[in-house]
Amino acid sequence: MIDHQTNVPQRSARAVVIGASGFVGGAITQQLRNDNMPVLGIARKDVDLLQENAAKKLAGLLRADDAVVFVSAIAPARNAAALMQNLVMGEQLIAALAMQPVAHLVYISSDAVYADSANPVTERSCRQPSTMHGMMHAARELMLRAEAKARLAILRPSLLYGTRDPHNGYGPNRFRRLAAKGEPITLFGEGEEQRDHVFIDDVARLVSLVLAHRSRGELNVATGRSASFREVAELAVKLSGKSVEIRGTPRQNPITHRHFDITECLKAFPQFRYTPLREGLERTARESAGVP
Amino acid sequence: MSAPIVGFAGLTHLGLVSAVAVAAKGLRVVGYDSDASRVREIAEGRLPVLEPGLDDLARRFGAQLSYTDRVGDLGACDLVYIASDVPTDDHGQSDLSGISSLIEAVIPALGTSALLCVLCQVPPGFTRKLPFDAARLYYQVETLVFGRAVERAVKPERFIVGCADPARPLPAAYAAVLGAFDCPILPMRYESAELAKIAINCCLVASLSVANTLADLSERIGADWHEIAPALRLDRRIGPHSYLTPGLGIAGGNLERDLATVLRLAEANGSEASVIAAFVDNSRVRRDWVLRLIHREVLPHNADPTFSILGLAYKENTHSTKNSPSLALIADLQSWPIRVYDPVVSTGAVDHPAVTAAPSAIEAARGSDALLIMTPWPEFRTLSPADLASVMCGRVVVDPFRVLDADALRAAGFSYFTLGAPPLRGAKDI
Repeated sequence: MIDHQTNVPQRSARAVVIGASGFVGGAITQQLRNDNMPVLGIARKDVDLLQENAAKKLAGLLRADDAVVFVSAIAPARNAAALMQNLVMGEQLIAALAMQPVAHLVYISSDAVYADSANPVTERSCRQPSTMHGMMHAARELMLRAEAKARLAILRPSLLYGTRDPHNGYGPNRFRRLAAKGEPITLFGEGEEQRDHVFIDDVARLVSLVLAHRSRGELNVATGRSASFREVAELAVKLSGKSVEIRGTPRQNPITHRHFDITECLKAFPQFRYTPLREGLERTARESAGVP
Repeated sequence: MSAPIVGFAGLTHLGLVSAVAVAAKGLRVVGYDSDASRVREIAEGRLPVLEPGLDDLARRFGAQLSYTDRVGDLGACDLVYIASDVPTDDHGQSDLSGISSLIEAVIPALGTSALLCVLCQVPPGFTRKLPFDAARLYYQVETLVFGRAVERAVKPERFIVGCADPARPLPAAYAAVLGAFDCPILPMRYESAELAKIAINCCLVASLSVANTLADLSERIGADWHEIAPALRLDRRIGPHSYLTPGLGIAGGNLERDLATVLRLAEANGSEASVIAAFVDNSRVRRDWVLRLIHREVLPHNADPTFSILGLAYKENTHSTKNSPSLALIADLQSWPIRVYDPVVSTGAVDHPAVTAAPSAIEAARGSDALLIMTPWPEFRTLSPADLASVMCGRVVVDPFRVLDADALRAAGFSYFTLGAPPLRGAKDI
């Protein structure tokens, strides 16, 4: 589902990260800089993709030999307005690429594009989003596939966690913050649902590999090992070193799980290793505490 | 009437095995192939096909067999089988151009009353379209199983025969040939027989897919599929010979071809066939079972292992590597050195930057961190845990088909991984 233009890693002339100031875009920008790649980070203050002249302005910043990483999104897209704004942003990028084609385009999508029943998820799984956010990514994928003039790779991360995540959604980020403050963690039901939690640096490292190999196609970003929310909560408490209560609540919804079969990643990047959940949470805790 | 003379056009795997089986029934057989050097080698007793018992049978009944590269020699035959293997591409699509050319060449050579029978795997509708007198034209289902082809050709369970008119008795010459095998004969219309062949393989794949699915679940919940399968075989609705041994996906080409044919026909005719697509998906997932296991159990502990790989053929007792799980695995192990041994297949079949060909199984294991038994060749059963422990650096044995004794390996300190059962972790990993 993903193939490399070159098996020997090569450095792109320049990487342009659109959405460089966000949680994911920031991590990717940092990783590419650590890899000594020339990087142009573009944030909303540089080019606002919702403005009328955005395409022309963006095109003026691009070069033919650039590798563009498109991360920018209003996320999560929870309503029709957010959906439409995200599509406009995608449209602006396509218009910019029509004016100034680039060598390589990497789109950071989401596993929300897959049907809820797709289990274990592979890159071949049915794409049938059940949320506005998933539909937004599915539509942008389609737009880019149909119209973007570049060698296209689509990465679909599962649930991400990391120190700089601005969202405090149910899962590792919130559990870790609550545990650090010594506050109780409340689970949905008994936290039985299993999900695949990905450390933010792993997405960034995979983007770096995709750029180095000029890869094209689709790749899920998931560790292949799902954990229940209770396991995550218990781990967060353990790592905090504090005595924190984990509370179950009466279950409101049926239990659903999501597992990934990551064989495609093993084949595409055999030397790549995902960060185990425990190690990722430890690093996140250390970074939050300012410990190197 | 005198005993019929039977011709076989196309001396590939199917044609050769079938010709020898008919000769073994005491009938005179003419084997034709346009490849003169192939014919010469066969006539001299050097068979280009590896099948247990085939060389011996061809020798014993050599007086009944003659081989030729002159198509006109088929003119003496009462019944001529079109028996060439039909190659498939990576998507399971048949290339019928070879047998179409063969049929075109054979028909003018046939006697005026001779019968023509298509024995190759062809899609439904193929036989009826052939430009030959329908009263003398037949299709016969072959059930060649690589590695067991002779046994099955000599003692078939039944003959399934496609005819223009199933109500009419078979011609005497054809009835005499089939009658020599003393098994039920089931005449039916051409399309039914052509689909029957596919139906047989779909049923086999269905059983395999169930075994694969539940074997995978067994590995995760602490069950052992090999304890379950015998219970299923004692169920009369399932049967003692049912395909319940989990594997590394469908290989060899023939089953894949039939699944692809059903999917194509179903799409063209508006039939619901998503279960067949699920079989294909299941097979694809199973093929990478060893790769996933290596990434889960070996590489996290040792980033730079050497692997020894036993077996390249897609299964034991064959030289075929069509869709071989072993070769598929090797393609995904390019980053690490491998040591390889197969009793029959040359290491030349391997595309790998750091492959070492070993002269024996134990030499392949020497110095390796993990032993991967990818084909269940009988000779691998003689490997002793003590010998493996003395030559290997690591202590991981991946044995999908349970060639070795799991308990003995564990006692020798190995971690042991097989299809359908939870891992047995030894005292020392790698």
